[in-house]
Amino acid sequence: MKIGVFVCHCGSNIEATVDTASVAGTARAFPDVAYATDVMYSCSEPGQDGIIQAVREKGLDGVVVASCSPRMHETTFRRAVERAGLNRYMLEMANIREHVSWIGKDREANTNKAAELVRLAVEKLRRNRALFPKSFDITRRVLVIGGGVAGIQAALDCADGGLDVVLVEKTSSIGGKMAKLDKTFPTVDCSSCILGPKMVDVAQHERIALHAYAEVEEIGGYVGNFEVKIRKKATFVDWSLCTGCGLCMEKCPSRKSHDAFNEGVGLTTAINIPFPQAIPKKALIDARFCRQFLKGKCGVCAKVCPSGAIRYEMEDEVITEKVGAIVTATGFDLFDHTKYGEYGGGRYPDVITSLQYERLLSASGPTGGHVKRPSDGREPRTVVFVQCVGSRDTSVDRPYCSGFCCMYTAKQAILTKDHIPESQSYVFYMDIRAPGKLYDEFTRRAMEEYGARYVRGRVAMIYPKGDRLLVRGADTLMGEQVEIEADLVVLAVGAEAAAGSPALAEKLRISYDKYGFFMESHPKLRPVETNTAGVYLAGACQGPKDIPSSVGQGSAAASKVLGLFSRQKLESDPQISQVNQRRCVGCGKCALTCPFGAVKMIDVRGEPKAEVIETVCQGCGICAVTCPQGAVQLEHFTDNQILAEVNALCQS
Amino acid sequence: MSPFETLKEKIREALPGLDCVIGWRQGFDPLHATPFFMRAPEDVEKLVWSPLCVHNLSTYLPSFRGKKVGIVLKGCDSRGVIELLQEKLVERENLVLFGLPCSGVADLTKLGRAAGDLDRVSAVAWDEAGFTLATPRGEVRVARRDALADKCLSCQFPNALEADHLPGDPLPPATGPDLGDEELAALEAMAPADLMARWAAEMSRCIRCYACRNACPMCVCRDHCIAQSRDPHWLSQEDSPREKLMFQLIHTMHLAGRCVECGECQRACPVDIPILALRRKMNRVVRELFDYQAGLDSQAVPPLFTFQVEEANIKERKW
Ligand SMILES: Cc1cc2nc3c(=O)[nH]c(=O)nc-3n(C[C@H](O)[C@H](O)[C@H](O)COP(=O)(O)OP(=O)(O)OC[C@H]3O[C@@H](n4cnc5c(N)ncnc54)[C@H](O)[C@@H]3O)c2cc1C
Ligand code: SF4
Ligand code: SF4
Ligand code: SF4
Ligand code: SF4
Repeated sequence: MKIGVFVCHCGSNIEATVDTASVAGTARAFPDVAYATDVMYSCSEPGQDGIIQAVREKGLDGVVVASCSPRMHETTFRRAVERAGLNRYMLEMANIREHVSWIGKDREANTNKAAELVRLAVEKLRRNRALFPKSFDITRRVLVIGGGVAGIQAALDCADGGLDVVLVEKTSSIGGKMAKLDKTFPTVDCSSCILGPKMVDVAQHERIALHAYAEVEEIGGYVGNFEVKIRKKATFVDWSLCTGCGLCMEKCPSRKSHDAFNEGVGLTTAINIPFPQAIPKKALIDARFCRQFLKGKCGVCAKVCPSGAIRYEMEDEVITEKVGAIVTATGFDLFDHTKYGEYGGGRYPDVITSLQYERLLSASGPTGGHVKRPSDGREPRTVVFVQCVGSRDTSVDRPYCSGFCCMYTAKQAILTKDHIPESQSYVFYMDIRAPGKLYDEFTRRAMEEYGARYVRGRVAMIYPKGDRLLVRGADTLMGEQVEIEADLVVLAVGAEAAAGSPALAEKLRISYDKYGFFMESHPKLRPVETNTAGVYLAGACQGPKDIPSSVGQGSAAASKVLGLFSRQKLESDPQISQVNQRRCVGCGKCALTCPFGAVKMIDVRGEPKAEVIETVCQGCGICAVTCPQGAVQLEHFTDNQILAEVNALCQS
Repeated sequence: MSPFETLKEKIREALPGLDCVIGWRQGFDPLHATPFFMRAPEDVEKLVWSPLCVHNLSTYLPSFRGKKVGIVLKGCDSRGVIELLQEKLVERENLVLFGLPCSGVADLTKLGRAAGDLDRVSAVAWDEAGFTLATPRGEVRVARRDALADKCLSCQFPNALEADHLPGDPLPPATGPDLGDEELAALEAMAPADLMARWAAEMSRCIRCYACRNACPMCVCRDHCIAQSRDPHWLSQEDSPREKLMFQLIHTMHLAGRCVECGECQRACPVDIPILALRRKMNRVVRELFDYQAGLDSQAVPPLFTFQVEEANIKERKW
């Protein structure tokens, strides 16, 4: 074998603390190394051309590039090697930047370490072999999970791009949090006026199949060919017949049901359509409150429904859809403020959450858009907003900033003044975070034009005083205690991962952070991709995000899907496990441990043996370390390749 | 009829439908029993049951895979069968399990130490209190606790945990000292360098016979053992304590969450290297991390044969 070694300066990034010429010199003595040189920028065009030229002129069979982390440039150099006529797996990288030059200043020690890493790469490369991807067909349909604004955008963009879309929404209507908002910052335009038309587009788009009140139960398969089981929960109403006329809601005698859409401010009927603009506009029975279910008799809705749509005996239904890509847009949930005992722990009716306040402000809300105190229906004069409730607070394990609360609080202060001109708002804040376009101007307007009084500091305690609430906090700018008697307190509760996110992530085989938010593949360069091919993220499920960013990500995810599907066929990564069937004793341990279900047991002349399904295997290597026989080897990372590296390191 | 006689009767009844029944018979000298494969009802007369039936016969089962066989089991041996069942290396419907309550087996090394030379022991007898060896120097009496295998002194499972026939009254768990624990505690108290030196010294005696591996019921790689294959090249032929210890560590790793602590590895070692301590250490780790002991429940899934995103006792995110 003839190996070429290219040691990169990375400008001065590496060269400043590593003598690259000497590393190249040392490398010339390594086995099979036929050529070694140092290069200024190996990733640049002349750098890559140099590699290609050397391969051709010196007849190299493999290339070691000693430079940066393979994370960024492995694909770059693989392509270069391929252009030079070699198999792309005849490349090894030695990371002498992140692992050497950036972490040590001692030039001599760095130079030695760099040479050792090159030695490892050479030893590994000597055991590499050409690998070839397989190609397979794509199911050109996409599944969007979550029908908030991000999911709606992703679904519409995919459908407009000519793809069939399956949209699964957990609740009985799409719209997500945005459907509950009154107005939106920074332009204060009506939320349902801008979201409503998009929701209608979803309903009317011939390429979108909407499954509301449904959840993803199981996901099998792999990029290009996922098989998804969707549980359509029983609504007890035949939606093919329901016209959304709402007669049932008028007549239902159970009028004290929890109103989830209105965040529990106000009550609703056991059978209900959550809001007038709901898509689909279909009724649903909440069995926790329905008399027919609780007492076994009632049947009023069945009697009044003009289309005979009521089905008390309905059961969940599980359907299967085949798709080639998945966009998750499951959004966020709100921090549970009852964890703060000092704010009343949910005991005071006039201490409400910001989203409840949105419902009070909304013309379609339970109060018809009149701001009234939940306790006595009185119009508040003094409203106190408390920011960072469940954000940036390590004591409740929420160290992160929820991003949009500063902005929506300013919006709510402005709207309060609009609704009740003689009112006075106070905002307790930690810092104002308003970095978006027109955002800072917006918070200034709340203060300067709308007279909201901003107090920098935390609220220490809220407790009742007569029929009002006493809010005690610190004004850290003035260095004094403040006490405000308020009629209404609005808590700007932070964002949390949507309930059930970790479980969904596990079904999707994607990672999630400590808080349950889904992990993107790269925080800067691959923000809507995940590390599972064919699964993309959009909106607040990846982390708190306002509407413009959520919509942006919805479109970005759609463009990734369209890009993926624009290929004729997909190529599988050949860095996957393979079973040496002569070694396999058929114990099935690999099949048990594989997190992707990629190992199947087959019968070979009467003996059980393991087999890896090439397209399903993600190359994680778990089976390889499980098999005691060493019968499973992960291509490109075989035991022998890794042992060669260990030996090179330990015996040199 | 004694429980042993009852068992023999059951074996005779079952034999026509079986390929063979594995038990023990008298070996080449009074001190040795030897594994015995009964094929015909008349073979059953030669079956023995005594404190000299040391071997864990479950080791043989995987090689009979697909055939119907019976096997005689002590409590500890049954854990091997259970583990094999869990790992689908044997099929329950192909097995007939004949269990006997076991009050402990002899450790021949210990007896040898008492007798001076095992080869010259001409007869052996035992009772509740101990063993009597006839030697050229005269009779040697060895107290029970100085004669039994360490594992038997604190045995928690004297009755087969899974059996089709289990004649006789079940025995209670033993209450003797846990010598294995004491040995581990002593090892754990050593400084790493001393510990390494100790293992290097012990392993320098290893003759790489692989008797330890061959005796282990959970060593199921058959003729593909990584120790002898040079592809993948985990071990070289080099005759150094390092390579030998490496094999012990590979064995220990392969046995993680699978080792049933039958002690066969150490018993089989012709040069008495105390290698069981390594397995015990691993077992303890598995117990602490996964609250799991191998070979107790044939329906359980060994902790290392599942994939879990987050383990209850491994706080990866806190690392
Ligand atoms: C009080 C308040 C006021 C706000 N005001 C503004 C504002 O004025 N301007 C602005 O830009 N932003 C505002 N925001 C932020 C805005 O709500 C979010 O940016 C936006 O809702 C994010 O959209 P999304 O689609 O990512 O998530 P969501 O709106 O949370 O939608 C997620 C959807 O997915 C569904 N879902 C969840 N889990 C599953 C599952 N497992 N399977 C199927 N479906 C599932 C949910 O039911 C929901 O319909 C405000 C937020 C709050 C709390
Ligand atoms: S773990 Fe190894 S021996 Fe067991 S089935 Fe899988 S490949 Fe075969
Ligand atoms: S490497 Fe093994 S465990 Fe990992 S996905 Fe492939 S088959 Fe499954
Ligand atoms: S490693 Fe030793 S103690 Fe453990 S099962 Fe194997 S032979 Fe028995
Ligand atoms: S039985 Fe003893 S001598 Fe033989 S390989 Fe095992 S440890 Fe070494």
